[in-house]
Amino acid sequence: MKKSEPMSESYYYILLCLAKGANHGYGIMQMTERLSGGDVTIGSGTMYGATGNMMKKGWIREIMSDEPGLERRRLYQLTDAGREALRAEIARLRRMLDNAEGV
Amino acid sequence: MGKQYKRSFKVYSAWNYQREIEDLNRASEQGWQLVRGGCFHSVFEKNPNVQYRYQLDYRRIDNMGRYIETFREQGWEYVNSVFNGWHYFRKLYDPTQPEQAYEIFTDRESMAEMNNRWANLALGIGIALGLFALVSLVQLIRMPNLPRLVRFLTFALESGVLLRGVGIMKNPSASRSRKGDSTLVAVFFAVILLGAAGYVLLTLARPHFNTAQSAAEITEPVADNRWAYFEVPYPDNYYLDLDMRAELPMTFSVLDADGQAVYTQTGTEFTGSNVRLRLPKGSYCFSLTCDSGFSLSCDLD
Repeated sequence: MKKSEPMSESYYYILLCLAKGANHGYGIMQMTERLSGGDVTIGSGTMYGATGNMMKKGWIREIMSDEPGLERRRLYQLTDAGREALRAEIARLRRMLDNAEGV
Repeated sequence: MGKQYKRSFKVYSAWNYQREIEDLNRASEQGWQLVRGGCFHSVFEKNPNVQYRYQLDYRRIDNMGRYIETFREQGWEYVNSVFNGWHYFRKLYDPTQPEQAYEIFTDRESMAEMNNRWANLALGIGIALGLFALVSLVQLIRMPNLPRLVRFLTFALESGVLLRGVGIMKNPSASRSRKGDSTLVAVFFAVILLGAAGYVLLTLARPHFNTAQSAAEITEPVADNRWAYFEVPYPDNYYLDLDMRAELPMTFSVLDADGQAVYTQTGTEFTGSNVRLRLPKGSYCFSLTCDSGFSLSCDLD
């Protein structure tokens, strides 16, 4: 069995956004658009499926916000396993880029 | 002023969901806003002052609160869910927004996941129906009759339609908006009902009986003893199981309403299973002539 499969763009950006701190779905979506210069958008169906699958994998977890004005708001938080998965994906992407050097 | 409602009974096949979305968007443009989507029956409310874009999702929801919230965050209003796993959403249409703002699946993976959720379920059902069709076909070839033919055709058609849908749903480049597919779905549901009803009615209407109660040894000779009067409601193949024994040769017949034998056997012993009688509609009975004691058992179905 393969150690890790390439991640879909949506998974990758969701993890990347959460690496900077817990966030809600809408925040992730906005940050993704900003980071990718509008190239990557995450629609609601994609977001629900991706976050659900990553919670099952144990990469992210759901927490309730206790910030004033955002009480009871659902937030996603990166787990250690999620951070590790993101790191592995970044390493994979970096290797691919390195391999492309000199082409 | 009271609200004005309209019902629609148009059905869509699962693999044609894009067509349903297009129809809902067009209805919204014309002032009819879907307020309850359904498999066979949808309700629209008249409101010419707004315009929505609709989307459909197919999945089993493990957390409804999280699900609705994820959509609401991006401006989607949850309309309703249908028992079979489809969920309706709508978003107020703003012409300044790019079309992309009205997509709920924004990568190939999640789109394929949704299509596969339906396709894998339908594949299981389609294969099961296909196996039923195969078993029915074997039975039909061995003992052809009308109920078996109806059953085979029903299973074969349902399985064929479903597996074709699976093929469309699993093919990433196939169109999910097909003209005329609604007719096929209407036929699909009509055939389920007609096939099941037809099979049950045809089976119930057929004579089914056995006269094994007289299987005990009878010692007196009989001459043209007639019994087991039965009606054949429609021309078809009917099947006779026989088990008769006597000391002296006997004659067993199936007689029609005019007393004409449509089937005759003479001898001291006859056994046969599933003897095919091709009977026109009418009344029939059994007849036995025997000069000695005998035992008998006859089944007809």
